[in-house]
Amino acid sequence: MFRRSFEDVVVPHLDAAFNYARWLARNDADAEDIVQDAALRAFRFFPSLRSDNARSWLLTIVRNAWYARVANRQHTVASTEYDDMADRRADDQIGPEELLIQREQVDRVQRAVEQLPDDFREVIVLRELEGFSYKEIARIVGVPIGTVMSRLARARERLIALLRPAASTGDAT
Amino acid sequence: MRCDETTRLIDAYIDGELSASDASAVGGHVDACVHCLRRIQAREVLGELIRALPYVAAPEHLRTTIVDRRRPIRSLTHWASAAMVVVAAAGGAGGRAWWQTHIASMVAEQVMTRHVHALATQHLVDVRSSDQHTVKPWFQGKLDFAPPIADLADAGFPLIGGRIDTIAGRPVAAVVYERRLHVITAFVSAADEDVPAEYERTVRGFHEKHWVQQGICFWIVSDLNAQELTDFVELLRARAM
Repeated sequence: MFRRSFEDVVVPHLDAAFNYARWLARNDADAEDIVQDAALRAFRFFPSLRSDNARSWLLTIVRNAWYARVANRQHTVASTEYDDMADRRADDQIGPEELLIQREQVDRVQRAVEQLPDDFREVIVLRELEGFSYKEIARIVGVPIGTVMSRLARARERLIALLRPAASTGDAT
Repeated sequence: MRCDETTRLIDAYIDGELSASDASAVGGHVDACVHCLRRIQAREVLGELIRALPYVAAPEHLRTTIVDRRRPIRSLTHWASAAMVVVAAAGGAGGRAWWQTHIASMVAEQVMTRHVHALATQHLVDVRSSDQHTVKPWFQGKLDFAPPIADLADAGFPLIGGRIDTIAGRPVAAVVYERRLHVITAFVSAADEDVPAEYERTVRGFHEKHWVQQGICFWIVSDLNAQELTDFVELLRARAM
């Protein structure tokens, strides 16, 4: 069994780490700090990396670094656990062709994702941009698989409602 | 399958997370239900829109910083010195005191966990002796530094023995002393001489004190009261070297 190096195993995933941190922090400067902190921490705990999936391991650390930073700044992490039915079925009347119109409006899609509460936004990023399975997302975020599924469902409902052509004011009537 | 059941499974369906039988049930329903089909299509379009967002790569200077910064750390072979370099490096960048505390408390947490684990499993020592000249040679060949061991029996802190333990994946010497019924563990590792660091905390009734002395890094943990533990630390600092 040969020893794998930090460069070979972890450094290739810095792009994913930065992209994820950027979505969490929603600005580049904080994302850089978070990834630096995460990389130091990843190096420290590299000898204990057992899993073959270094990318999900690194993103877990990025997420922890972000939470540590947010907690340190005394911000509260917006939780969506209890506003359950708020946007239930908000997307019912919106069809695929109405969404297709948004194709040219990258900014609008970006803003919609940024507007999502933290715990919705991260599952969307991990699923759609990183392509992780529910099981992997559950491990990174530290919640049951069922919670990943329901957060994804509600995040998508909310995004579709946000992206309906007339919804720029957030008015869903 | 009805619409409401399909709605519940729609996300897992498009993400390929359903069992074959569930997926085929959803597929069967969708073939016959335009409403649910449109919901699925809307989600698929949404996925395309999100995946079309720019995937921003790590800036080159960030990559360079990370690869460069960890180089000095890599050359150190001991967990404690690596931790202290991390603290020192983080301290150099303004506004990151939270990270220092974060790292130190992370090590402190492991120190406490190992102390409690040893007590709980009654595996305190691998070499049991009150004689430092028995305990110290036992570590020979097991570590690449010689852990200082002090005779503090005259001050009421008799030596129990020692064992090899692991903190953050690296081997350390755990030297065990006692005070009445209280066990004191001194985790000892090699440290970089010019890394100054002290740290202490009290959590859940355990006091922890850390310092670096002549290239050796100490982490002391016990449920002994703060005053007596301070006495112990002063004696150890004076006599261990």
